[in-house]
Amino acid sequence: ELNCELRASCQTMCPAQELRNRESQNRLHCFEVVPGTESFRKPKGDPLRAVKEYSRPAAGKDVTKPSCLRPPDVLLKTVCYLIDEIAGSTSLHPWTEVYSFVFDRLRSVKQDMIIQRLSGKDCVAILEPTVRFHIYASYRLCGEPLRIYDPRINDTHLQEYLSWLFDCYKTGSGPYPNQEEFQTLGLLYNLGSSPAAQDILELPERLRQTPSLKLALAINRAFLEGNHVHLLRLVQKLDFLQACALHRHLVTCRRHLLLIYCHGYHSRNCRFPLDRLAQLLSLEPSLTAELCQVYGIEVNQHNQVLFSKSAFTEPEQGSLDCKLYHSITHLKVVGDRPSRP
Amino acid sequence: MAHITINQYLQQINQAIENHEGSFCAELLSFKHPHVANPRLQLASPEEKCQQILEPPYDEMVAAHLRCTYAVANHDFVEAYKFQTLVVQSFLRAFQSHKEENWALPVMSAVTLDLRIFANNAEQQLQKKGKGQPGEMLEKAAEQLMSCFRVCASDNRAGIDDSKKWGMMFLSNQLFKIYFKINKLHLCKPLIRAIDSSNLKNEYSPAQKVTYKYYVGRKAMFDSDFKTAEELLSFAFDRCHRSSQKNKRMILIYLLPVKMLLGHMPTHQLLRKYDLIQFADVTKAVSEGNLLLLNEALSKHETFFIRCGIFLILEKLKIITYRNLFKKVYLLLKTHQLPLDAFLVALRMMQVEDVDIDEVQCLLANLIYMGHIKGYISHQHQKLVVSKQNPFPPLSSVS
Repeated sequence: ELNCELRASCQTMCPAQELRNRESQNRLHCFEVVPGTESFRKPKGDPLRAVKEYSRPAAGKDVTKPSCLRPPDVLLKTVCYLIDEIAGSTSLHPWTEVYSFVFDRLRSVKQDMIIQRLSGKDCVAILEPTVRFHIYASYRLCGEPLRIYDPRINDTHLQEYLSWLFDCYKTGSGPYPNQEEFQTLGLLYNLGSSPAAQDILELPERLRQTPSLKLALAINRAFLEGNHVHLLRLVQKLDFLQACALHRHLVTCRRHLLLIYCHGYHSRNCRFPLDRLAQLLSLEPSLTAELCQVYGIEVNQHNQVLFSKSAFTEPEQGSLDCKLYHSITHLKVVGDRPSRP
Repeated sequence: MAHITINQYLQQINQAIENHEGSFCAELLSFKHPHVANPRLQLASPEEKCQQILEPPYDEMVAAHLRCTYAVANHDFVEAYKFQTLVVQSFLRAFQSHKEENWALPVMSAVTLDLRIFANNAEQQLQKKGKGQPGEMLEKAAEQLMSCFRVCASDNRAGIDDSKKWGMMFLSNQLFKIYFKINKLHLCKPLIRAIDSSNLKNEYSPAQKVTYKYYVGRKAMFDSDFKTAEELLSFAFDRCHRSSQKNKRMILIYLLPVKMLLGHMPTHQLLRKYDLIQFADVTKAVSEGNLLLLNEALSKHETFFIRCGIFLILEKLKIITYRNLFKKVYLLLKTHQLPLDAFLVALRMMQVEDVDIDEVQCLLANLIYMGHIKGYISHQHQKLVVSKQNPFPPLSSVS
């Protein structure tokens, strides 16, 4: 419900006033300028591509001016534009630049939502594609240098959006046809977290019995039981976005598997076939051998792994790059576009 | 009490304040007391009258209290909560001005308790109308309670008998109830630290200590610190008064899973005495190593376990159950070199789906890593070779 006294009358993705200001101050993003004017001294702003930017709250700044606030339908159009035309574009490069732009503009959408105290279906329609974007980004940009992409910042915002989205599901009257998808993504992203699992358990039965939630719960259970062989097998059944959500936990799973095998197979004559281990870890044998090396585990010239309790060592800071091992290419790229309302 | 006039009421409060009669004053401000049902006191605008008889900030405090009785009489808990907030705020101003005296502690207990209760009721009312974020009002109430806590905790000058520190445990317990309800357990930490470092830690009343250890024990469970959880919850259970069957049962609901994880199964007698038969099948399944029965038991009483927040902890019993099952295999085969196939057969008999030899190895490796089995797996011989001495150490000895 809208706060009736607070009107939002801006019908464009970017308020006219802001577009004029940024144009005259030469503060337009390259994605926002009229094509062909990029090299001008003052590039021309394209009202069809300019998007209101995030602005830090400050004393004296009036953020509630109606002409600067976008109503829910415009916010939704904005989000769809950002995800479909910018994030989903195959011609805009590099993707780190795409990410920065979309991240910032989504943050501004969030600001407009908060000022208008948006809730219910309007909120959900905007939050869902936002969550998808951040989850995809966490996989796509994994491994990029810190000065370009900070996974912790992405994580902070993603957790906020997830939390808000789940609150909307809980307090709203529904129905929410995508709730199954997003509760699943939330659990996979926060694998092993008791609060996340408890939230799922408190959902109505019909939701918990849906195939994707059952799968996510089974993966969570395997994670907590330390049965990572079973877990890595179940992971094969995830779709692309679900795998993106889960991928950062793969390091933990594989590490734990190697650790318990170092203990479980600890003996002088241990000769564990590398190929078998590769299968269990869902990695190519060459990558498996590299991973063993990172953890101090010896692989002999007959491609046999010599597990030993004393061998296992934590990798040196920075020597383990998730990106090298997190490939989910066995999964077809299903596409990360939000469904049109 | 149900018939006194507003003037009589105000005179009584004034006297109680002037004579430092904390308990009596508390009654006159508590919603447990019959005066709240007196229509003569349920005034919409009592401010003037209060100002005539009481000194600030007591005038504001009592006026807000009377407004609150009016709101409650109209079943408007959102309004009631608003006014109770003012009561607590005014009270705190007065409380802070009491230098080196603590006679008002009973008042603090009464008004903070009502604040929490009204926050609960108000949220329920809002939920029914589809408004308001869950936990919002409780969080605000918690902020107020924290302000009171800080005033108590920072009372370093007064002698022990006059110290406001005596109020710390009561407030902690109120705050725990809120934090557990809104699922923000990490906020318990500063309270626990403050109480732990206080010299009064063991001097509080038995009832307060039982409640305190109950919540801190539950927090320890949540942090997977099961040894600590067992200590605290056992204390709470043993010291909880025999007559509080309901409270003893509540403590047991959390103590049982912890004890089971440490290898101590409850007797059927105990379960029957406290009406906790839901645990009976779980207990049987775990001690027999019967995974099938465990899954059935968890599923059958799922709703109950989830509501109590122990479902996830009970799932941890699976590892213990695997250990017990595998120990049976060892005892049956009477050898120290156990074929992996034997474990696979055992699991298949328990109808564990899709399990194959790779998973068996993983489960065994995990148990070895955790210290539940002493031995190693030989991949070449496809055997588990266990130590000739105590290959399955008792559960209580494995941390």
